[in-house]
Amino acid sequence: MKLVFVVQRYGAEINGGGELHARYVAERLAAHADVRVLTTCARDYVTWRNEWPPGEDRVNGIPVERFAVAHERNLIDFRERSDRIFRDPHSVQEEFRWLDSQGPTSPTLIKRLARVADECDFVVLFSIRYGPAFYGARFAASKAVLVPTAEREASLGLSILQPVFRGVRAIMYNTFEERAMITALSSNEHVPGVVVGVGSQIPDTVDVERARRTFGLDNPYIIYVGRIDSNKGCADLFRHFTEYTDGASRPLDLVLIGTPVLPIPSHPRIKHLGFVADRDKFDAIAGAELLVMPSPYESLSMVALEAWALGRPVLASARCDVLVGQCVRSNAGLYYEDAREFAAALDRILADPALAATLGRNGRAFYARHYSWPVIERKYLDMFEQLRGEPAEYGMEPIPGWLARRTTTVPPAAVVVNALPTGPVVGTERSESR
Amino acid sequence: MADQNPQHGRRQHFHRGRRPDRRGDQRRGPGPAQSQEQAVREHREHVDVEQIMREIRSRISQRHGIELTTQQIQELAARRLEAILDPRTVKPSLLEQIRRSTSTPVDAPATPEATYTFEDTTIYETHRGALRFFRRLLNPLLKLFFNPNPISSALSAQAKLNQAAALREAERDRRQAEWNALHYEILQRLVLEIARTSIDAQQLSMRVEALSAKVEFAERRARSIEGTLQQVRPAPRHESGPQPPQIQQPPRDSASAEATTSPGAPESAPSEGGRRRRRRRRGRRPQGFTPEGAPMGVAPGAAVTEARGPEGGDAPDVDDVDDEDGGPDNGDETDAFDAAPSADAEAAPVQSEVVASAVEEIRSEEAPVHSEPVPSAADTSADTQTEPPAAEVPESSRPPDPFGD
Repeated sequence: MKLVFVVQRYGAEINGGGELHARYVAERLAAHADVRVLTTCARDYVTWRNEWPPGEDRVNGIPVERFAVAHERNLIDFRERSDRIFRDPHSVQEEFRWLDSQGPTSPTLIKRLARVADECDFVVLFSIRYGPAFYGARFAASKAVLVPTAEREASLGLSILQPVFRGVRAIMYNTFEERAMITALSSNEHVPGVVVGVGSQIPDTVDVERARRTFGLDNPYIIYVGRIDSNKGCADLFRHFTEYTDGASRPLDLVLIGTPVLPIPSHPRIKHLGFVADRDKFDAIAGAELLVMPSPYESLSMVALEAWALGRPVLASARCDVLVGQCVRSNAGLYYEDAREFAAALDRILADPALAATLGRNGRAFYARHYSWPVIERKYLDMFEQLRGEPAEYGMEPIPGWLARRTTTVPPAAVVVNALPTGPVVGTERSESR
Repeated sequence: MADQNPQHGRRQHFHRGRRPDRRGDQRRGPGPAQSQEQAVREHREHVDVEQIMREIRSRISQRHGIELTTQQIQELAARRLEAILDPRTVKPSLLEQIRRSTSTPVDAPATPEATYTFEDTTIYETHRGALRFFRRLLNPLLKLFFNPNPISSALSAQAKLNQAAALREAERDRRQAEWNALHYEILQRLVLEIARTSIDAQQLSMRVEALSAKVEFAERRARSIEGTLQQVRPAPRHESGPQPPQIQQPPRDSASAEATTSPGAPESAPSEGGRRRRRRRRGRRPQGFTPEGAPMGVAPGAAVTEARGPEGGDAPDVDDVDDEDGGPDNGDETDAFDAAPSADAEAAPVQSEVVASAVEEIRSEEAPVHSEPVPSAADTSADTQTEPPAAEVPESSRPPDPFGD
């Protein structure tokens, strides 16, 4: 079986959610199929500057073809176009221009994909909001297996995405919330889909004491791992945590791992470790009382899965349906909406070691049941087998004509997303998992 | 190696002092025991995150009341304002105009354009050049017939008057609009403040209710301790109050209890005493509380939940420290209180041994007073006979005196 992976960036040092997801899956499926990756020369997801040379490359044994990005992102233009299509009625043509403005735009990649699509069995495309996956799905619709990694954000409301969700051969969802959202958005019930997610490379052993010694973690601590950004809810986390420590008697530190975009408040109980190696990260997570995940926008949260794999409970933001759904489905984490709930939920876990241990055990079992690599590989392979056995009875809808594309009839994308149903999807997973 | 001792397995089934109702072959049979043990283990493993979150949110709402955002308060105030500005009594168009005037800034009045200007030559003006020429030419002839100057002056004055009046009118409109906007703004803010204050008052009243429940519990705890003290102290001969026999007769000396208790009396007297005590205490209970001790308007058990410890399923909280400082009694104190005699009797063997010795000390100091009691009708009741004099208690059954040698 020959598989072509298409993703906007690809590299061993790239830790973005969708990109890491793609690399993990490609490396795992390489044991079962001939895998090739088509990607861009960009390394930075903000500028899409060409930093890698175009041409053949090899990452962890996987052959990679890199293609130049046509232009870097113009931040001002992108912001203006985003404001326009998110807030105002607009045209289809404006959405195409927004996609081009967002980047990365690489016509050579799409041309190459159109050629190799005939030679491979399936094209696995990651992150629908970027050009490579969007145009790749349109050019290789009959073989396109889409991994949308879609979050509940305004760009999901673009009208040009809906035909793609209805026209690809299959969709590999990250969570039930993502599936419900996309189904409600595009009415694509006829498209085969399965909730898969992604695993992680959890080490067999962790050394908590080593992490404590290395980083001077003397007190009990909770940990956040990821980009330290207000978009990730870190500003709220800092506020909630400082309020909590002001009123609490027990010594508790907040340990941060990741690159800071937001200024980290100078507080004796907040410790920033910076960007650390995976081994240190896992050690630190394993030694934490819990992992806190304040992000309101998550399509899966691999870090939460890693914490569960290590038997640690998770305290997540209730503003993210996906995280709430994962906590409820796993019975391995609590969630909070405001500072009071943050404090109460934190107290609940810290004051009851038995509960914390049970949540951790549940998380470990949840990870093993749904996100261990054999399970994920099997879901991909089963989907490929299913698609081989049944030909596609539908195709990709054509792009509207010249005049239709330029007529302002499309509602604001944010309005479309806000109209989608909210809340965690609980019953489906429970019934499926049992 | 796994512990296969069924006794050990059974001990694990104790939960908050209660034994599972297993009997007969269920106790002896290892199969059901193991399966039950497994079931209990599974039960312990099972955690319902949604249930925990419901509990957490319930506790937060009990403690802090319902939190409303500023926007929600504004929406609430807007609805109240709608009710105040009833369209049946206020002209809708006027209301709309006021609303608009509050949302849009009041412009400075534009200087009204002069309706017309009138000069001396105005009456001869025309756009036709030839006609203007003839008028000028014939103007002396016209002035020969009448004087047009007063007419020009009057019309000129009238034009100035019109302009001044228009200015005054515009200024008045502007001021009126400002006043309207100000009044509407004040009204809106007042209603908003009223809404906010009423919500605050609601929350405070809930807080007061919760605090009074706590105070009530603390008082009851104090009373029950006092009651235990009184029951442990052997009744003086001149007193007529019934004493629960369980307190006076430690269970380890049942023979002496039987010997000192008059036949027939113990069955009726303690229960009567318990009823009396319950009635009396209920009489003292302040108004506004249910017979179970919960404050009116608060869900029964709400305050009780706060008094529970970690075993009760609720996390110990910083705010609950005052509840837990009271001692090891984490159970439902209301129930324990209402079950007065038996609950006190159960607690007595533990507490009375320590307390009784102190009481003995006190009693020995008060002995001269009690040595010659004043007989009364109440003293002749059988209740007093159920309690043996302290001197009659065998030495071996007396608690050790922590203060003595």
